[in-house]
This record gives sequence, structure tokens and C-alpha cells, in this order.
Amino acid sequence: MSRNYSPDQVLADRLMQDDTVAFEELYRRYWHSLFSYSYNKLHNVDDARKIVRTIFIDLWEGRKSIPATFSLSNHLYTQVRTAVVKALEEKLLAISAEESCTDEILEEFTATALQKAKEPQVKKYEPIRHSEIRRQQTIYNTDKEQAGIYMHVKWLFQALNNKIYS
Amino acid sequence: MKTQILHKRLERYLRGEATPAESRQIQAWLSCTTEDRELTAEERSRLEIEILSEIQAHTAYPLFYPQKQKPWWQKIAALF
Repeated sequence: MSRNYSPDQVLADRLMQDDTVAFEELYRRYWHSLFSYSYNKLHNVDDARKIVRTIFIDLWEGRKSIPATFSLSNHLYTQVRTAVVKALEEKLLAISAEESCTDEILEEFTATALQKAKEPQVKKYEPIRHSEIRRQQTIYNTDKEQAGIYMHVKWLFQALNNKIYS
Repeated sequence: MKTQILHKRLERYLRGEATPAESRQIQAWLSCTTEDRELTAEERSRLEIEILSEIQAHTAYPLFYPQKQKPWWQKIAALF
């Protein structure tokens, strides 16, 4: 990932001009969320991997027909949902004879399991580590020191300026 | 739920012929993100590279659109 953050819209515009750097930046930005969503739904690394690969291949191949009001996150979200349903449908077709393989997934379709979808998401509480607090304090102190140096230099230049023109 | 019943429901959903109740059930399943199976950091970085190389092999974009080498001053500037 580059140090300079570019918004999705800028990267999508660059993608339309065959910019491979922009494409890889988008890939690095979104692949993991798409992968973990598919993986959590299908419980299979290979299926999730195939979905991510197909979505990004389609994005590259359809780059010339990206509409002006294109929301990349919405597009990827829709794509991954459809791909997950398709993959599950294919999976069920392939193993319709032996039902045990998809027991875990089938359980997720029960009414009690689906109730969870209606529950509000509770953000996991992660205690802040001491190292992180120290790091933030260091940044703050460094910023303060730099601001002090900047003020001194500015004052020096103003003093010199006054001396020269007076 | 039986595999065959679910399969038929999914098929109908993909064709856009599912009943509202079936659509709601599938959409609720798609929206349910309470599970959290995480990969290890090594697996994650390995997969990131592997999937990208598969995409590159399929589309062959590095051949058709090779990345331009940045001038040396831009490489140095990127370090700061």
C-alpha cells in the first residue's frame, strides 16, 4: 500500500486508464474483507479464494465500462453476495447425495441462527496496550517539539527580516 | 433444512423467482456476520500474494501494461 491514500473514486478513474498500480491498490484494500466474508459464509478457503479472484478479474476486464457514478465498495459488496449464493448453490448441487458436508451451513439457515442478523453488532472491546499509549505519547511529544522548533525558526526569520528592512 | 430444499430456494433466488419469504431468509443469512473465522498473519500475506498472482496469470495485465519505473528522485521522496 502506498503512503499517499487515494480515494476509491480516484483509483477507479485511474483504473479506467489501464493503471495497474491503481488496480493493485484496490485489490490490497478490499481483498481481505471480501475473502473473510466469503470464508465465513462458505467455510472453505478454496471457494473464498475463487470468489475473490473472479471478482477482481471481472473488475479488471470491465474497467472500460465503469459508470461515472461508480461506488466501488457497493459494487464489490453486491458482487460478493451474489457470488456467495452462486457458490453455495453449486456446492449443494455437487453434494446433493451426501448431505453431511454442508451441515454447518444448513444450520445457519435455521430461524434461530438468522435471528442473529437482526441483533445489533457489538464492537469488540480491545484494551489499549501500554506500548500503543507510549507510541502515541511519543508522537505527541515529537509534534510539540517540532512545533516549538518551527516557532523559533519563524521568530528568527521575522527578526532577520525586520533587521534587514529597518 | 434439507440440502435439496435449500438448493431449490437458492436456484429460485438467483433466477429472481424466489418468494418474498425465501428472499428474506437468504438475505438475512447474507447479512449475518456474527461469525468471525480469522486467518493467521502468515496465511493472510501468503493468500494475498497468491490470489494476486492468479489474477495476473489470468488477465496477463503485467505483460500488456507493464509498470513504468519511477525516477530515482521519486523513489527517494517516497521514503519520507
